[in-house]
Amino acid sequence: MSTDSQQILLTARDIEVGFPIIEGFVQAVRGVSFDIIQGETLALVGESGSGKSVTARALMGMLSERAVVGKNASVEFSGQQLIGLPEERLQKMRGSAISMIFQEPMTSLNPIYTVGSQIVESILAHQKMPKKEARLKALRLLQEVQIPRPEARLDQYPHQLSGGQRQRVMIALAIANEPKLLIADEPTTALDVTIQAQILRLIKDLQFKYGMSVLLITHDLNVVRKTSEQICVMRNGEIVERGFTEDVFTNPQHPYTKHLIQSEPKGSPPPLQSEPANSLQGNKVRVVYKIRHGSFFNRKTEDLVAVNDVSIKVRQSESVGVVGESGSGKTTLGLALIRLISSQGGEIRFGDRRIDNVERKDLRDLRTSVQVVFQDPFSSLNPRMIVRQIIAEGLVVNNIGNSDADRDEMVRIALKDVQMEPDVMDRFPHEFSGGQRQRIAIARAMVMKPKFVLLDEPTSALDLSIQAQIIDLLKDLRDKHKLSYLFISHDLKVIKALCHNVLVMQHGNVVEAGPTEQVLVNPQKEYTKALVNAAFEVVSNRSQSTSLNFN
Amino acid sequence: MNMNLRSQSKKSLTYWELVRKKFFRKPYAVIGTFIVITIIILGIFAPFFSPYSPTRTDRERQYFPPQTLHFFDQEGNFHPRPFVYGITEEMDPNTYEFSFMPDPNQKFFIHFFTKAEPWRFLGINLETRLFGVDRNKGEYIYLVGTDNLGRDIFSKLLIGTRITLLMAFLVVGTAGLIGIVVGVCSGYFAGTFDLVTQRIVEFILAFPDLPLYLALLALLPRRADAVLVFIMFAAILVLLRWAQFSREIRGMVISIRSLDYVRAAEAVGASRPRILLRHIVPNTTSHIVVWVTYQLPDVILLESFLSFLGVGVQPPMVSWGSMLNQILDFQSFNRAPWMMAPVAGIILTVLAFNAMGDGLRDAVDPYSDK
Repeated sequence: MSTDSQQILLTARDIEVGFPIIEGFVQAVRGVSFDIIQGETLALVGESGSGKSVTARALMGMLSERAVVGKNASVEFSGQQLIGLPEERLQKMRGSAISMIFQEPMTSLNPIYTVGSQIVESILAHQKMPKKEARLKALRLLQEVQIPRPEARLDQYPHQLSGGQRQRVMIALAIANEPKLLIADEPTTALDVTIQAQILRLIKDLQFKYGMSVLLITHDLNVVRKTSEQICVMRNGEIVERGFTEDVFTNPQHPYTKHLIQSEPKGSPPPLQSEPANSLQGNKVRVVYKIRHGSFFNRKTEDLVAVNDVSIKVRQSESVGVVGESGSGKTTLGLALIRLISSQGGEIRFGDRRIDNVERKDLRDLRTSVQVVFQDPFSSLNPRMIVRQIIAEGLVVNNIGNSDADRDEMVRIALKDVQMEPDVMDRFPHEFSGGQRQRIAIARAMVMKPKFVLLDEPTSALDLSIQAQIIDLLKDLRDKHKLSYLFISHDLKVIKALCHNVLVMQHGNVVEAGPTEQVLVNPQKEYTKALVNAAFEVVSNRSQSTSLNFN
Repeated sequence: MNMNLRSQSKKSLTYWELVRKKFFRKPYAVIGTFIVITIIILGIFAPFFSPYSPTRTDRERQYFPPQTLHFFDQEGNFHPRPFVYGITEEMDPNTYEFSFMPDPNQKFFIHFFTKAEPWRFLGINLETRLFGVDRNKGEYIYLVGTDNLGRDIFSKLLIGTRITLLMAFLVVGTAGLIGIVVGVCSGYFAGTFDLVTQRIVEFILAFPDLPLYLALLALLPRRADAVLVFIMFAAILVLLRWAQFSREIRGMVISIRSLDYVRAAEAVGASRPRILLRHIVPNTTSHIVVWVTYQLPDVILLESFLSFLGVGVQPPMVSWGSMLNQILDFQSFNRAPWMMAPVAGIILTVLAFNAMGDGLRDAVDPYSDK
C-alpha cells in the first residue's frame, strides 16, 4: 500500500501482543503490519476488542507490564528501531517525536495543575528555554487550537473547561513539541456530535500546518472518511483489509468491511395507521431538581429545571425520537414519563388514565405495560443473578405465570424474541458481550408484554455492527408486538431509521418538533441545523454515490 | 484499552467461583489462608494439641526455660521418637541466681495420644491428648517453658488462641451485622431516617477510642464473673466498631441504588424489600468479606493490648493479651523472656489475616484482570 514517491515515517511489522487473564491467555494483536507515510493519516478502524488501541500503545512502548510482545515485532520510526529501546529513550520520544491524545480528556489532564503549567511542563521536558518563553509558547499553542480567551485559560484548571475545550488543550499538549507523528485514540468519542466535527477539523488543520503524520484510532466510519488517506480495518487483532480510504469505502473487499459499512443505520419507519389511539402522553411535563449550595447558615436552594414544560405524544405503534446533546434533559424526560422519577408539574397520561399523581404502590399494573431499556448494558444487569432470574424478575414480582415451569417458558419465548438461545438462561451477565447483554435487557422488557417501551440510548454503548443488529431487532419487535417506542438518542442516524416523529431538546426545552423527515431534512432552528450538519455533513460533502448518503 | 476479548469458558462460573480462581493465583494469600485455618483449628481443638491443662501448676518447676525437641542425642545417635532433655537447676552460691542446664542423662521421649488431664469438648469428656511424656516416671515437657506458677506456657498459648479468636469473631460478627443492617437501611431509605442515623454514627465516631475503652471497662464490676467481663468487653468493642462499617455500607448502597439494574427492577414493579435483598445486599457481600478479614486482626490486636493492660480478659480465662499481662514488670521479663511467646502468636495471626485480606480484596473484583 505504500507509494514509492512518498517518504515512510513509521514501519510496523508483525506486532503481536498478548495478555494473561484469569481464564488463560488472550492474544490481543496478532501479526499486524503497516506503514505510516509522512504527512498523511492512517486510520485503524475496528470495533471494541479488535486490538486497535493495544497496537497503538505497542508502538509507543506504553503497554501494561503484563503485556507480552511477540519476538518478531518491529517498529521502525525514522530509521530507528523502537521495540526493545530502553524506557528512558522512549520517554524522550514520547511527547516530542511521537505524541498521543486520548478518548477521555478529563482523565488525561491532571486536575490539580492549571492548563498552562501542564503545557509549559511538557515543553520544558523536551526543549531548553526560559520558563517565560515556554509560557508564551503555551499561549500561542492555545491560540492555535482555537480556545476562546487563551490568556485567561492558561491559569484555569481542567474542570473549568468544557469537554471540547479540554480536548483542545490535549491537542495543544500533543503538538507542543511539534511531533512527527500524532496518535489519536478515539479523540472524539466522548464528545457531543457538534463538538466532534470541530475537533476533527482542528486536527486536520494542524496536521497540514505542521506536516505531521496522524495515526487515527476509531470505530466511527464517518470520522475515518473525513480525515484519513489510508485505512486498516482490524478485527480480532488482525488487519482484514487495508487500502486507500475512498477505495475501501466504495469497493470493500473483505466481508467484514462490507458488513461494517452496511451497518450504518438506514431506512425509515413504516407508515402509521390513519388515526392511532394515544399510548403515552405528556402535557407540559416539568422536572425540577433542587440544588443546595451556600454555607450552613446561609443555605440557598436553587431550582434546576431539567425538563421545562415539555409536551409529547406517543401513539400506538408509533416511535418518537428525543434528540439532544448531553445535559439536554432527554433522559430525565423519559424517566419522568414512565414515573421512574417524579415530575413537578404537568400531566402524564397512559391511555386514558392519568398517572402523574398516582402513588408508587398503585403503579404496579402500569409497570407491566410500560417498560424501559437502558443505555449501558454493563450496569443494567445485576452481576449476581443468572439470566433466568434477571428476565423472570418482572414475572415473579407481578405474579405472572402459575409455576416456575410456566415462567421458564415465557423467558424462553422472550429470549427467542431477541434471537438468543434458551441455553443462556443459566449463565451470568459477565459471560456475555455488550450486544448480547443488551439483548438480555430487551428480553427483560419484552417478557412483560409491554405496550410502551422507553429506549434510553439503547445502542450508544455498542459497536457499530452490533448497533445495527439491535436496531433491526427493535424494529422487528415493534412491528411484531405493535409497540410504541420513546427513543432517546444523540445519534440522528438511528433516529431517522427508526422514528416517525422527533423532538429536539436543548437545555430542557424543546427546540423543534415534528415528523422526522421534515425536521432532519429541512431543519428550521440553528441548533437543529448544527446537529444535522454534524451527523450527516461528513458524508455528504464527499461522494454522492454511497449507501451512507443521507439524501 | 479496548480489551474485551475473553476466551470462551465451557462452564458458567458464578461470581464466587471467579473470586476463588483469582484468589488462588496469589501465593501469599494462599499461605495466609493456610496459616489462618491452622490457627483456627489449633484454637478449636486446643486441649487436644496441648500436653497439659492450662491451669495445672508445677510447684517444683517455676520459670522453667523452654525445652527443645531432639532427634539426635549428644553421641549423635538417631532416635526415631523425638525427645527432650530434662533440666537441672543450679543456684549460684554467690549471687543466688538460678541457672538452668539441659541434662543429657535425662531423656524424656514423647508419646503420642497419651492420657492426661480430662477436657470437655461439646459436652463430651475426653482425656486423650496429641502428645505428652510419661508422667509416671516424673518426666515433663515444657516446649515454651513455664510461668511463675509453673504452668505450661505452650498449653496456655493454645487455650489463649481460643479466647482471642472467639473474641475477634464475636466482635466482628456482631458489629458487622449491626453495621450491615443500619448501613443498608440508611443508604436505601435515605431522608430523615438516614439523617438521624448518620448523626448517631458521627457521634459514635467522634469518641476517642482508647480513653473510652478504659473508662467503660473501669465501669465493669471488679469481682464480676470472668465470663460476664468477657461478654461486656466484647459488647464495648462492638459498640465502637459498627459505626464506621455502617458508613461504608451506606456509601456502597447509595452508589448501587442508582445503578440501572436497580432502576430496571423498579421498572418491573419490584417491591422495596425485594430490591434490597435481591439486588443491593448481594452486591455488597464482597466488601463485607474484605472488611471482616481486615477487622479480625484489628480486634485481636486491640484485645491483646487491653488485656495486657489488665482491663480486658480476666483470669481464669486465658487470652494472649492476659498472658502478656504477667510480664508487665521488667523483673519477670528478665527472668523468663519466653513468656513473651504470645507476641509471636499475635504477629503471626495478624500477618496471616492481613495476607488473606489483601488477596481477597484483589480477588473480589474478578472481572478486571489485574
